[in-house]
Amino acid sequence: MVGREYDLIGNPVGAVRSTFEKAMRAGEPPFLVDGKDWGATHSIPILDRTTLPHLQPNTLVRYRGMIQDMLGNEFYVGAHKDGGTWTTNKFTDVSHLPSEALSDSRIWERRLLYCVPVPGQNIWAETYSDFVTSPCLNNTSPHGEKRQREDCADMDIQASDQDFQDSTCMKKMRENMHSSQLCPKERISEGSTSNSDMVPNFDIKSLPCVVKIYDTPESELKLNDVIEFVGLLTFDPKLAADDDTFDELSDGLCEDALIHLPPSKVPRLHCIVHQKLTSHDFLSGSLILEPKSSMVKGVRESLLGHLTSVLGNDELAAHFMLLHLLSGVHTRVGLVAVGKLSLNLTCFNKEILTVFGNRIKAAVANLVPFTMCMPLTIDHLNSVSLAPSKDYNTNRLVPGLLQLTEGTHLTVDETQLQTGTLNSVGVENIRLLKILLESQKVDYDFKYYKMEMEADTQVLILSEGKSNILPADVILPFRPQPPRVSDCVDMEALKAWRCYLATFRSLQHSIDSEMQKRVEDDLVAARQANRSLGSSDFSRLLTMGRLVSMSFGETCLSLEHWQMVKELERLRCERSNQ
Amino acid sequence: MDSNRADFTQDIEIAKDFLSNYADLNGDAKYIALLQDVANRKTKAIEIDIEDLFNYKDLDEEFVRRVTENTKRYIGIFAEAIDGLMPDPTEAFPDDDHDILMTQRTEEEPDGSEKVDSKQRMPPEIKRFYEVYIKASTKVQPFTIREVKASNIGQLVKLAGIVTRCSDVKPLMQVAVYTCEECGFEIYQEVTARVFMPLFECPSSRCRINNAKGNLILQLRASKFLKFQEAKMQELAEHVPKGHIPRTMSVHLKGELTRKVAPGDVVELSGIFLPIPYTGFKAMRAGLVADTYLEVMSVSHFKKKYEDYELEGDEEEKIARLAEDGDIYNKLSRSLAPEIYGHEDIKKALLLLLVGAPHRTLKDGMKIRGDLHICLMGDPGVAKSQLLKHIINVAPRGVYTTGKGSSGVGLTAAVQRDPVTNEMVLEGGALVLADMGICAIDEFDKMDDSDRTAIHEVMEQQTVSIAKAGITTSLNARTAVLAAANPAWGRYDMRRTPAENINLPPALLSRFDLMWLILDRADMDTDLELARHVVYVHQNKESPALGFTPLEPSLLRAYISAARKVSPSVPRELEEYIATAYSSIRQEEARSNTPHSYTTIRTLLSILRISAALARLRFSETVAQSDVDEALRLMQMSKFSLYSDDRQKSGLDAISDIYSILRDEAARTNKMDVSYGHALNWISRKGYSEAQLKECLEEYAALNVWQIHPNTFDIRFIDA
Repeated sequence: MVGREYDLIGNPVGAVRSTFEKAMRAGEPPFLVDGKDWGATHSIPILDRTTLPHLQPNTLVRYRGMIQDMLGNEFYVGAHKDGGTWTTNKFTDVSHLPSEALSDSRIWERRLLYCVPVPGQNIWAETYSDFVTSPCLNNTSPHGEKRQREDCADMDIQASDQDFQDSTCMKKMRENMHSSQLCPKERISEGSTSNSDMVPNFDIKSLPCVVKIYDTPESELKLNDVIEFVGLLTFDPKLAADDDTFDELSDGLCEDALIHLPPSKVPRLHCIVHQKLTSHDFLSGSLILEPKSSMVKGVRESLLGHLTSVLGNDELAAHFMLLHLLSGVHTRVGLVAVGKLSLNLTCFNKEILTVFGNRIKAAVANLVPFTMCMPLTIDHLNSVSLAPSKDYNTNRLVPGLLQLTEGTHLTVDETQLQTGTLNSVGVENIRLLKILLESQKVDYDFKYYKMEMEADTQVLILSEGKSNILPADVILPFRPQPPRVSDCVDMEALKAWRCYLATFRSLQHSIDSEMQKRVEDDLVAARQANRSLGSSDFSRLLTMGRLVSMSFGETCLSLEHWQMVKELERLRCERSNQ
Repeated sequence: MDSNRADFTQDIEIAKDFLSNYADLNGDAKYIALLQDVANRKTKAIEIDIEDLFNYKDLDEEFVRRVTENTKRYIGIFAEAIDGLMPDPTEAFPDDDHDILMTQRTEEEPDGSEKVDSKQRMPPEIKRFYEVYIKASTKVQPFTIREVKASNIGQLVKLAGIVTRCSDVKPLMQVAVYTCEECGFEIYQEVTARVFMPLFECPSSRCRINNAKGNLILQLRASKFLKFQEAKMQELAEHVPKGHIPRTMSVHLKGELTRKVAPGDVVELSGIFLPIPYTGFKAMRAGLVADTYLEVMSVSHFKKKYEDYELEGDEEEKIARLAEDGDIYNKLSRSLAPEIYGHEDIKKALLLLLVGAPHRTLKDGMKIRGDLHICLMGDPGVAKSQLLKHIINVAPRGVYTTGKGSSGVGLTAAVQRDPVTNEMVLEGGALVLADMGICAIDEFDKMDDSDRTAIHEVMEQQTVSIAKAGITTSLNARTAVLAAANPAWGRYDMRRTPAENINLPPALLSRFDLMWLILDRADMDTDLELARHVVYVHQNKESPALGFTPLEPSLLRAYISAARKVSPSVPRELEEYIATAYSSIRQEEARSNTPHSYTTIRTLLSILRISAALARLRFSETVAQSDVDEALRLMQMSKFSLYSDDRQKSGLDAISDIYSILRDEAARTNKMDVSYGHALNWISRKGYSEAQLKECLEEYAALNVWQIHPNTFDIRFIDA
């Protein structure tokens, strides 16, 4: 393991200083490391599919993932008396003492979280530890054949396909489960080849993890949060051996969710420290943008230029794209999600799609850490489960495609939609997408009731005409020119753009009262001129105002930026009416 | 250890004392009577209410605390106490197998010559033909599953949740009885866990001394079994904090409590929270983790109907205070969907829909519905759906569905083949599920034709008849229908007549008591209001203050449920008044060359229903004239929302219209004086506001048509 050159207990200040110096040597300017730990945790090996074979059990590891499911509380014998001395089982899975000898014990509790790698995470946003991985070791990995793991990951996605009735015949159910887990897997793996960008390298790299949380207030960890956990990896090959031997005696309801998550496939992490991650934490570079600095303007210009070239010199589209990428729900008032700006680029015919479809997707994927793409076809809508649903047989939340973490970008390609009949699943899926666009919420299906979960997803829709299924905030006909072939992107610029987007998405913003008056008057005038404008249009214009001024790194709406919003809106209306 | 033992014998005495001496409010010895019933084999369950322990004067609180914190043990203690107290049966009952076995055993037992060892002694459990339950106090607030912590282990807890899964009822061995091949003794083995290791060697002293290793044979008939069912309970959606997943808990139901719950039931359970240590291999894997479950002591289903709504704590007092407040009608209606701006009259109508009128059954068995049906029609984006959803949230039993989006079962009912048993089963649709509640149907205009025909029946007869696949039956659907529909061309087209815009057959329309058109009209003030609102929301990240504090939905619900208990009647003196009002509407309609409304006898019933609902809101047993006036006003307003344009066309502005109303009324009654209160009643019935009345009074007073009393505003016509 990596030896520590400083002594944390003997000389804590020295340790802090030395990490700081190291960070400085790496070229980070001092102001950007405010409130950071300067990479002290980076020396802890990260836990993922590639490093798992090399990690020793019971060592300190780091795991980054999204909380996909909460498995509830686990009661364990926290401390027990063994011949006069008290011993503890905290941070362990297995007691090292024979259980019969217990004379006195205390039961403690811990919370179980089921975490998965963030859905849609782009390759550049992945973290690699300093840990050296040599590929040859992979074949001689001590636990788990590769195939087996893939099965497991498959199963996680697939479980949604089993829609059992609530039969009380448990035995039958189990048989069912086995068979139904097998067949749809086949089906989906076929399907995923055709639309491979739908489940982005989910089963290859992904390593789910059961994280056990001790003594943390419940409110700190929420579903779909992206968290970095630091804790003990526990793994016991002895226990891993009996994966499939279900306890025959548990004849009732097979309640233990963990049975379906054998430790050989899903490692256990006993969390000591955890930290919520923002998109900033996924930037590898070391750049910080001070609001209002001249640098911001430069980065903005270059990003706009890049977007313009990606979008075939359609400057208006590039402007809207920039605003779209900066958007995010910042408040919820009643039923309205304030701050969202979904974009619908229309006029995508076959030709334009082949040229620009993938360019746009790739460009977005290069800029934001988490992206997903969804081709909207009848078959896909009728078969896929978008909303997560609860499977009461395994007591697990089966993930749906729309279970995304905050700030994920979703591209919906509506151009492939043909006429056809939607079944009940399809209708439900359309409804879900509509709710997502309208109020940034996803209904999680708990069979007996639905739970609304708040989402914050940037949705970009590519369609031929205005999408009636997916009501976007901004609808803009796309007018590209044939692209220049060579547009290679400078790595440094890319880093700057990512940092720019990550920084200014979360900027505070306000409107002063004078400007407020002016905005109100403008809105009323606009509505007098055009009766069809409603509160959603007002809301959109205000959001655009906010985003425009944020894109310049400003925290207050200025007249100039408001004029710019009106101009953009005018150009958009002009183009729409052509 | 020994002191503990002593404690428990002492507690048995306390328990005995409690059981034999506890007297309930009527002074009856509740538990002795119960024991007698048990002895007579009328009942099996002895439920000890913690509440009674609290109320029992001779008990110290320490004992109650011990019972709640170590409940499992105290069930045993109470059982022992009951063993000692059990009276002889006073009625004859047929002996069953069990009794015969027991008599035989007791005859054999008292030989006393050799000291029987523990395995041979008959465990008290096998003699008992009753089950003891300790029920948690009804007064404490139930826990959510999330709140049950490790410190609650072993304690009596009360939980609320929804049952998600249930296993079959299975026998659970409580006492295993063996006979020995060698010595012939009966050997008893008490089973306390779900899993037990059967005995193979006879442990009796005779076999042991002889070293015979007698073979034991399990006697199933002699053993005692208990019905056992396992279920899963999940947190209710409203108890889950934002950003979390509902928790689940296993519950074990035994004996008489089995088959009390089914998946989907919302229940309140009291029970003992207990750990099951894993056994064997599982323990190794799980690392001494204890699985936990709730051993259920009592089950109560949540009441979802108004009729069974129980008031909690200080709600009764709050309601009484609200009822005294004169403005309750406005206050309640404003508290419906407070975040939706305006629409006062619609909210009033929706409040009346929640309250409803009493159902009437005539002597000949004919039923007249009390539920009000309301249809909201309007442009897209005028918050119709939000109003609907809000009403469903307030109603204790409400189903929200869309005309098209409902599943194969649809709105009414469907016959479906059960996938497991292959039998035909009848499955109720949204309307049937909303029986005794409210069914909100969005996109009413886009409904399937089959559902639309069925809805005629639901709305008047309040049943769903089905004749499919050999099943002919009629299901109750006593529900108030709240429908929302879009105009025929998506948006309301001003150039067309209302009838063209409303794309629903008259037969269906006449079934709605009230129908409202919500239009998105051009108006500078509302535009500014809207712009201000949106800017405010963006700027301050919250909704602007409402200017009043809306009532809590729970209080609203409590008030409505209290109101629904009242059954007002129409006093004789009002009959004439209502009849005149009805006939004048009919005449008006006959006079107009383009009647928009279909005033039928249904309209009269609607007036009565709305008036009764208004009386209910005042907790009044009789309908007052003001109720009828308000009912007529609401109906008029609802008509105006539809036909307001015609009013403009008819050439009369509001002021002159008010004048003509007042003049006509004065002429009809042949009086020169009209009191202000009467005038207000008349004009509000026609849908005018008080402000308009005042304006009219001033204008015509200036013309010397009438004189206005300076203080009371009473009107005196100046004879021309």
